[in-house]
Amino acid sequence: MNPPRLGEMTMISPLMNISPVTKISPVTNISRFKRLRFKQLVAATTLAVLLAPIAFAEPQVTERIVPEKISLGEAAQLTIATSGSGAPDITPPMVAGLEFVAVGQSQRIESINGVTRSSTSITYQVIPRQAGIFTIPGMTPGSPPLVLTVNPGGGGSATPSGGSAPSPAPNAAAGSQLPGGSTRLAADGSAFVRLRLPKHQLYVGEAIPVDIQVGTRDGVVASLNGPPMLNGDAFTLEKLSSQPDRSQEIIDGKPFTVFTWHSALAAVKPGDLSLTMETPLTVRIRRALPPDGGLFGNAGLDDLFNDPAFQNFFGASTEKEITVASTPAEFKVLELPALDRPAEFSGAVGHFTVSSELSDNKAAAGDPVTLRLHVSGTGNFDRVNTRMLHDVDHWKTYAPTAKFKPDDEIGYRGEKTFEQPIIATQPGTEVLPALEFSWFDPTTGHYVQARTSPLTVAITPAAADTSLASAAAGASNSTTAITPATNSAANSATNPSANTAPDALRPDHVDSGRGSDSLRPHYFQPPYLAIPSALLVALFGAWFGVHRREQRARDLESAARRNDSLQTEPLLKLMDEASVRGDSELFFRSARTALQRNLASKWLKPPDSVSLEDVDARLGAGSVVARVFKLADEAAYSGLKLSSSDFQRWKQLIIRQISGGETVA
Amino acid sequence: MNKSVINKRAGIMAMAFAVLGCALGIGRARAAADQPQTPPVYSAPALYNLGNSYARAGKPALAVLNYERARVLAPMDPDIQANLRHVRETAGLPAESGHWLKQHSRLANPDTMYWLGVIGLALAGVSLLLRRLKVGHRSALAATASVGLLLTALGLWDSVATAAILDESVVMQPSPASASPIAGAEPLFTVPQAEVVSVRDEHGEFSLIRDSSGREGWVARGNLTPIMPR
Repeated sequence: MNPPRLGEMTMISPLMNISPVTKISPVTNISRFKRLRFKQLVAATTLAVLLAPIAFAEPQVTERIVPEKISLGEAAQLTIATSGSGAPDITPPMVAGLEFVAVGQSQRIESINGVTRSSTSITYQVIPRQAGIFTIPGMTPGSPPLVLTVNPGGGGSATPSGGSAPSPAPNAAAGSQLPGGSTRLAADGSAFVRLRLPKHQLYVGEAIPVDIQVGTRDGVVASLNGPPMLNGDAFTLEKLSSQPDRSQEIIDGKPFTVFTWHSALAAVKPGDLSLTMETPLTVRIRRALPPDGGLFGNAGLDDLFNDPAFQNFFGASTEKEITVASTPAEFKVLELPALDRPAEFSGAVGHFTVSSELSDNKAAAGDPVTLRLHVSGTGNFDRVNTRMLHDVDHWKTYAPTAKFKPDDEIGYRGEKTFEQPIIATQPGTEVLPALEFSWFDPTTGHYVQARTSPLTVAITPAAADTSLASAAAGASNSTTAITPATNSAANSATNPSANTAPDALRPDHVDSGRGSDSLRPHYFQPPYLAIPSALLVALFGAWFGVHRREQRARDLESAARRNDSLQTEPLLKLMDEASVRGDSELFFRSARTALQRNLASKWLKPPDSVSLEDVDARLGAGSVVARVFKLADEAAYSGLKLSSSDFQRWKQLIIRQISGGETVA
Repeated sequence: MNKSVINKRAGIMAMAFAVLGCALGIGRARAAADQPQTPPVYSAPALYNLGNSYARAGKPALAVLNYERARVLAPMDPDIQANLRHVRETAGLPAESGHWLKQHSRLANPDTMYWLGVIGLALAGVSLLLRRLKVGHRSALAATASVGLLLTALGLWDSVATAAILDESVVMQPSPASASPIAGAEPLFTVPQAEVVSVRDEHGEFSLIRDSSGREGWVARGNLTPIMPR
C-alpha cells in the first residue's frame, strides 16, 4: 500500500478476521453502532462524520483473482474492491467446487481538498475442492466473470491440521524445495513455529539449509517481537535472511500469515540431538462480552463483535507477550570419520568442484602473478580453506586471500575464490604444481581429494634486474649482489637525480622465510602489554615488601634501644657511685651487666647467657666488651685498683659501646 | 639485618623473577604452539621484494606501501630506504615521507626493541632491588641497573616512534581532498598517489588526512591503505 500523500487523510482498519465464511457487512452500516457504549458511540459518530460526504461519490466495484492458475491443494486470492457512495454489499457467488473464505477487510478514506472518498476491499481465499476450470460470475451487473484454472496433483503440501491448504507465497524464495515440517499451534491457537529441514541425519560441521516459519493468526497476533531463536547449544545457525518471506495459510479454517526465514544449520557435536526454535510475540486477548450477548442479545452479532479485529478496533482486548516454540526436530549427528582423513582437510563438508587459473601465463622474473583457486558448490563455506602453494622451487609465495560470492541469501551455495600472489625468481618455463583441496562428502560418507591441473607459465628475464637469480643462488652470492647496490645507494644519497632509471632499484633480498603473522608491533598488542605491566607490578611489590621489612626492623631496633636505655640507666648510676667510692668490683660488675643486657637485645638471647666466650667469638678478644668482662672477673677476685681518671675513661668507653659505638678500646 | 638472611632473600627474589620470566616465556611459547601453523605473512625481505616487484610493474602506490611496511620491520635497512626514496622521487614526491620520528629515531625491529625494553626493565628492577637489600657488589649492580634503564628507555622511545606510524596511510590513487566529509564536496587539493599521509579523524566513508606539506582535507577512505593493517 502506498503511503498517503501530503494533504490526504487515510484511515485503514486492521486486517479483519471473518470466521468462518463470507457475509460481512461493510463498516459503513452506521445504524448498528448507535446502541454501543458511549466511547464506541463517539468513535462511530466520528466515523459517520468522516464518511458522510461519501454519499456524493459514484460507486465503483473491481474484482481480481490471483493467481489465475493454481494446483489442487493451493489457494487463490480474490479481492473485491468498492469505492464511492452507495456501494452495494457484495458477497462472492456460490460456485460448485470452490469455497470462499473471507480473510480480511481494509478500508481507506481520503480527503483531498475537502472531497472525501472511501474505498473498501475484502479479501477471500478461494480454495478448490477439485481440479478443473471454474468460472466465477461477475459480482455486479455488467462486470466480467473471473476464471480460475485448477490443475490436478499440483502438490500443494497437505496440512497436518486438517482441511487447510497453504496459499501461494508471493515472495517465497525461489527454489525452496524443503519438505514441510509438522505444525503445532500455541496453546491459544494464535501462532506456530515450524521448521522445514531437508534431512535429519548429518555430520558434525555439515551445513544444511533450513526454513524457519512463524505463523501468526491474523487479528490475534499484534506483533512479532524478534526473529526466531535457536534453543540450545548443539547447533549453530547462520545469519537469518534479512527479510522474511510472507505468505498466507489456512489452518483449521483460520487464516494465518506465515513469515519464512531461510538460513543454514550446522551441528557442533555428535549424538542424538533435538532442536527447537522459538520466537517472542505479542498477542491480543479478548475481553469477553456479557454472557447475555451484551446490549444486543443476538448470537449473530456476537460473532461479529467477538471478532478479534472488531475488538481491536474498539479497544475490547488486552495484549500479552508470549513465546511460541516449534515441535522438537530430532537429529542424528555423526562424527566425521578419522579414517582416510587427508592431512590438508580444513573441515569443509559438502559437495564442491575446484578449478585453478593464473592471471597471466607470461610474466617477467620478479613480477607478481596471481594464482586463483575456485571452490564452488554447496556446503559450509566458512570452513573451506587452503594454504595453496608453499615452498615451491623458483617461486616466492605469499599468503592467499579468500573471497566468497554466495549464490543464495544464506551462503549455502556459492563460490569461494582464493587468490595468491606468487613471484618467479628465475626465467624459464615453469610448471606450477597442482593445487589440492579436500572435503568430506556427506552423501557418500567419504573424504574427497581434488587436484587441479598443473599450470605452465613462461617467465622472461627481468627487464633491468639480474639480482633475483643471484639472490636465489644463496647467501654467499648475496654479498656480491648487494655490494654494487650499496654503491648505488651512496650515489643516490649524494645525487638523487642520478638515480631515476628503473634499474636504479636495489636488488631483492634473500628471504629466509621467517616472519610474523602481524605487522603491528608488540607494543600495541594487549597480550604483550601485559608482560611489562606484570613485571612492573612484581618489581614494585618486591620493592614495597623490602621497604616494609626494613621499616619493621628499624622499629624493633629503636624499641630495643629505648628499652636498653631504661634498663641501663640505674646501672650507670651504680657505676658513678662505685667510681666515687673507688669500688672497682662494683663498677665493672655493673658495667658487665649493662653490656650483657645491651648485647642480649641485639643477639636475641637472654642477658645471663651472654658470656665472655660469646663476646670473644663475635666481637673479638680485644674488644672493649671482652676487656670489661675480663676486668670484672679480675676485680671480683683480685681487688683491682683504678684511679678516678681510669674510671671516667672506662665509663666513656662503656657508654659509647652501649650506644652503638666502638668495639675496640 | 643478618647478611646471610639478606643473601637468602635476594636469592629467593632472583629465583622468583627467573620463574616469572620462564613462565612468561613458556606462556608465549605455548601460545605460539597453539596457533595454527600458517605461513609467515610479514617479513622485511618479503615486503621489500614485493615492493620491488610493484616498482618494476609501475605501481608506485603499492611499492611505497610495501617499502613502508618493510621499513617498519627493518628501519635501518639501507636498501629499503634507497628504493623507497627512488620510487617516491620517480613518482614526483619528496624523497622523505612520514613522521620525522620514524625516519630518524628507530634502531631495529620494533619487536626486538620491545623485548630489549622488557629485559632492560627486569635488569634494572632486579639490580635496584638487590642494591636495596645490600647484598654487596654495589658497583656492579649500579652498572647493571644503568644498562637496564638505558634499554628500557630505548624500548620506550621506539614505541613512541613506532606509534607515529599507526596513523599513517598510503594514498593508492590520486584523490581529491575536500573541506567536508560529504560526497561531491568542493575539492581543496588533490593528494597524489603513493603519498604517505597521516589520518587525523574519520567520519563515515571519509578520513581527514594531513599530507607531507601540512595540508588537511577529507579523502575517501577507500583510497587509503594503512601502513599497519588494522
